[in-house]
Amino acid sequence: MQPSVAEVALPSAGTSADRRAARRRTGSSRRGEGLAGYVFLSPWLLGFLGITALPMLASLVLSFTDYELLDSWSGVKWVGWANYRRMFTDDPHYLHSVAVTLRYALVAVPLKLAAALGVALLLRRDRRGNGVFRGLFYLPSLLGGSVALALVWLAMFSRDGAFNAALSLVGIQGKPWVNDPDWALSTLIVLAIWQFGAPMVIFLAGLKQIPPELYEAAAVDGAGRTRQFWHITLPMLSPVIFFNLVLETIHGFQGFTGAYVISGGEGGPVDSTLMYTLYLYVAGFTDFRMAYASAMAWVFLAVIALLTAVIFSTGRFWVHYADGDTQ
Amino acid sequence: MNPTAPHAVGVHSPLDHGTASRRTLLRGLAAAAVLGPASAALAACGDDQPKSDPNAPVELSIFWWGGQARADATAKVLDLYTQKHPTVTFKKTWQANAGYYDKLATLVAGGNAPALYQIDDGALGEYGERGQTLDLNAYKGNKLDVSKISEALLSAAVVDGKLAGIPMGENTCGMIYDKGLLKNLGLPEPTTGMEWEAMIAWAAQVTTKSGGKVYGTMDPSADYKALWVWLRQQGKQLYDGKKMGPSAEDLTKWFELWKGARDSKAAPPADIIHVANAGAVDKQLVVSGKAATSFLWANQLPELQKATKSELGVVAYPGDPKGQWARAAMYFSVFKGAKNADAAVEVLNFLVNDPEAGKIIGTDRGLNANTDVRAAVAAGLTDPAAKVSATFETDLASKFGPAPAVPPRGHVKVRSLLITHAESVQYAKATPAAAADAFLKEANAAIGG
Repeated sequence: MQPSVAEVALPSAGTSADRRAARRRTGSSRRGEGLAGYVFLSPWLLGFLGITALPMLASLVLSFTDYELLDSWSGVKWVGWANYRRMFTDDPHYLHSVAVTLRYALVAVPLKLAAALGVALLLRRDRRGNGVFRGLFYLPSLLGGSVALALVWLAMFSRDGAFNAALSLVGIQGKPWVNDPDWALSTLIVLAIWQFGAPMVIFLAGLKQIPPELYEAAAVDGAGRTRQFWHITLPMLSPVIFFNLVLETIHGFQGFTGAYVISGGEGGPVDSTLMYTLYLYVAGFTDFRMAYASAMAWVFLAVIALLTAVIFSTGRFWVHYADGDTQ
Repeated sequence: MNPTAPHAVGVHSPLDHGTASRRTLLRGLAAAAVLGPASAALAACGDDQPKSDPNAPVELSIFWWGGQARADATAKVLDLYTQKHPTVTFKKTWQANAGYYDKLATLVAGGNAPALYQIDDGALGEYGERGQTLDLNAYKGNKLDVSKISEALLSAAVVDGKLAGIPMGENTCGMIYDKGLLKNLGLPEPTTGMEWEAMIAWAAQVTTKSGGKVYGTMDPSADYKALWVWLRQQGKQLYDGKKMGPSAEDLTKWFELWKGARDSKAAPPADIIHVANAGAVDKQLVVSGKAATSFLWANQLPELQKATKSELGVVAYPGDPKGQWARAAMYFSVFKGAKNADAAVEVLNFLVNDPEAGKIIGTDRGLNANTDVRAAVAAGLTDPAAKVSATFETDLASKFGPAPAVPPRGHVKVRSLLITHAESVQYAKATPAAAADAFLKEANAAIGG
């Protein structure tokens, strides 16, 4: 249907500005709205571009050069894949840091998730005082990345620390945990496990989503506690476990603060706490080899992305989405 | 055209006004967002303009590491300068030694370098070679008077022919020992010139007499300066240009010497040594009461004395004292890209040459570099520990060997590599020979590359 001339040109319907606005609204209003959207988005967008995206891109470029932190830009040379090659062929500390990080993540992540799930199961019922306990167990997570906590750990697990004092009460001669190359990493792992509050809260939320009818039905059918756990709780909780697993794996590989504080930024004693991110930091800011550190960061990103993809791809074998059949 | 559009004109016209005005508002916001930085830049230009005017107010940023006492003294000196030159004010930043160089490197690389920064011989070569320090040669004789600065110290500030900084003080290695403890145990005090083996035997006695509560000596095998002195006593150096000075045999001997000390209980087990290796003053074993000696710098004695009730003393490192040298304890450098470089150099001149400034700073940064000021300050010292430290160093001065060249770039890395490999021997994770080989390989790569 064509609009009549009279309707369009009706003087009382509006001024020419109105008409222009109308045209814009129909033709380009989407663009206008889009612009508004971007303007409102701009604080985040500028931050993302300026603080995250551009520096990331810059670090990618840098990783193919020989740039060192205090050098002037004029002398920077393109070196191709040399930094990447060096990591795997000519840097024993690098491979060592990979091993340390793997050991840390492979032990800390499953144990932390197990601890989180265990405590969440204990706290799932709304008994009196459980709110307080939930808060208390969550507390270490709030303080998680803090330097203060790592310092407390350092004091507690040193030769004359509180932990050894407690051990000596029962007649055990303790080790200088954080200052012993055989134990320092384990101390860090314990520190990580202890901060299980965040996944615990997510597990609690997940447990509340499981319909109580399932348990009632199972009880009627004669399933005991253990059976209910394996056949109802775990499958129903698997999406949440999956979520926590992905999150904690990424988190686990990035462990930095504890290692930095406990080893005084060096990864000692004898490189036993030289985590990947710590070595990256040392390479960039202590040794000034920023290009090499950038290359390390990109390998790290690729590996974590790959690992996450692997976890995702295994998901269909064990993650049970109950969307359809509970409604 | 959309058939409903004409209808919409009539119905929604008020909203259209709304859209239009909202758009105007957004345009305004966008303009403000674009112009905001620009107007700030314009304002900044305005600030810059009167730079050529010598009486225009100047704010200099200055950054140093140290403890509270140094911070107080430095702030006082800078305030004195502002009092004398009201147009010059300071933005003072200081922090503990740990993490100082991380911060400084970040500031410099990020284009926020302080105009004046404290630096030591570990990093001077690094910053000088990379062109981050202003060459002060051009200021010599006019804005900067170096005529009274000890020649040995001044030559230790030259990197690639450029004067990369001004030495603030002189110090030398000092083995700090627990005088009070030795008195209680009825043992003799260590003496300057005592051989290394003799010192270790003496230390084993301390351990025995104290019933194993206090070990006789810190194990300094991870400490580059102790290794350096020991090498110099055998006619070698830590660095031979862009190569490491010692051979693998030398290093193996060094690691074995201290392995023996640990085996005889003269030195504590690895984890106790490790805590001290990190370097914080309050963690040093002579202060924490774990050992009777610590291998440090002589000018640190007053600071250490504040951390313990037991009386401390200082002697040279074991062996011939000619292995030691007059070292520039630390420098102040001017950032090459500093806006007010001239003003910064004038401040530097004041810090090193002004007698009043010298008195306030005292011996905290070592014996003053300006020999006139040094004499005046020494005469007026009241803190007994500072007196002991100053007397020790003045007495030792005649026995010093020649000062080595400024350590090459990569020195900081070499220091931490020595810690890692010496500790691998201390923790019995590597044999002395294996650690010596590994250290040399990595250290050579760090300074050569």
